[in-house]
Amino acid sequence: MISHNAAATQAIAASLALRLHGGEVIALIGDLGAGKTTFVQGLAAALGVTSRVKSPTFSIMNEYAIEPTKAQLWSQNNKPAKLARLIHADLYRLQNDAELSALSLADEQRADTVLIIEWPNAVSVDLNPDITVTIDHLGEDERAITIVAK
Amino acid sequence: MRVLAIESSCDETAVAILSGEGVVLTLESNLVRSQIDIHQAYGGVVPEVAAREHLAYLFPMIRQALVEARINDNEIDAIAVTAGPGLAPALRVGVEAAKALAWAWHKPLVPVCHLEGHIYASWLETSNPPQFPALALIVSGGHTELVFMKSHGDFVRLGETIDDAAGEAFDKVAKMLGLPYPGGPQVEQLAKLGDPSAFNFPRALLDKPNLDFSFAGLKTSVLYKLRENEASLDNAKFRSDIAASFQEAVIHVLIKKTARAIAEHSPKSIILAGGVAANLSLRHSFQALGATHQVAVHVPPFAYAVDNAGMIAAAGYYRALANNFVDPLVLSANPNLDIV
Repeated sequence: MISHNAAATQAIAASLALRLHGGEVIALIGDLGAGKTTFVQGLAAALGVTSRVKSPTFSIMNEYAIEPTKAQLWSQNNKPAKLARLIHADLYRLQNDAELSALSLADEQRADTVLIIEWPNAVSVDLNPDITVTIDHLGEDERAITIVAK
Repeated sequence: MRVLAIESSCDETAVAILSGEGVVLTLESNLVRSQIDIHQAYGGVVPEVAAREHLAYLFPMIRQALVEARINDNEIDAIAVTAGPGLAPALRVGVEAAKALAWAWHKPLVPVCHLEGHIYASWLETSNPPQFPALALIVSGGHTELVFMKSHGDFVRLGETIDDAAGEAFDKVAKMLGLPYPGGPQVEQLAKLGDPSAFNFPRALLDKPNLDFSFAGLKTSVLYKLRENEASLDNAKFRSDIAASFQEAVIHVLIKKTARAIAEHSPKSIILAGGVAANLSLRHSFQALGATHQVAVHVPPFAYAVDNAGMIAAAGYYRALANNFVDPLVLSANPNLDIV
């Protein structure tokens, strides 16, 4: 899909949110400035995260509560009841696999959780994502967004 | 009252002992074990490394602080600790140590928010602390926010970054320029030789009537400028012009938004806080801003602007005066702890 601006990127992320039920691991690949945080902001809002989603580069891992009643996409009869949290991780600053184990990402992978991981290729461990989202720069505001499910 | 404080939220293991009498806060010991040498080898702040190092240094540093202050543990009145926000494994080391000490020594325990600590750096070692209401601009690697303080412990967030923190933008631009970690001071060095008006980088959200910040677009804009000029990437003039123009864009937005907050909230004093307060250009612009608006300006000395435990002790001192204690058995580190 081609996005021409941040709002379109967020709309594409929202369309992905509609397919999530909990327990998914999403790898999010894209260069500096590709719009990865923008994408997660769209995903989070659609899922029902009401707090502000910010870059996790410094904190490495941010956790957000999902409030299904606040979801922008799900109708009240059609919402996945078990979705309770979104974890937004960023491996940008990790330089080796040993550092990954300290984050205990596997422990965070629960049926009520969507785990989205930026810079998954910073480590050589296979994070075994269910979905891989790739954002490529085409121009100043233009992005190609590719979503591949396992 | 004497407070022992522990800070381990990110790079630094830090321990301080503060003696307070009224508004006079004196640091009897202020130790910071910088972990930067270790992190340079890893190119960033890596939580497991941070946690391991905090654990190795914390107790010897507490002992050294007691020696420096020439006191023993029964002369401590309260223990303050950074409970968040920060890197969970690193925070936990400080919090668990503080809980153990509070329990073993029978001292009250005061949890402090790291951001609150940064603001309280301006209360350290001064006969002229900020007057209320006060407006604080907190700028660090993980945060960029404007906080209004009506009195001790009464914080209202007026605005914050909606994406990247200012310090993170400095670090990422440094990385794009191939500069080593930590990037902020390196970009500042490079900027000294450059022309801040060479490139007109975007000033996000200036036209919006709010007090929020955004630095993600600026980062992307710098990236495009570097890509357009790949042949000049080794050119010293080009590099310093990029650094200077980038820094100018960041400071311009920080100052304009602070000016708007001053106009809207009429503080008696303004406070610059957080690691990016070490940036000299920002310090000068902040001083000039205060002079223009005729409000008192508080910019902490470098040693108190960067992460340290003295600032946690100062915040802890005022919390202890208000009896804001917590049971050592129930406190836990909170990586998402908020200032309000």
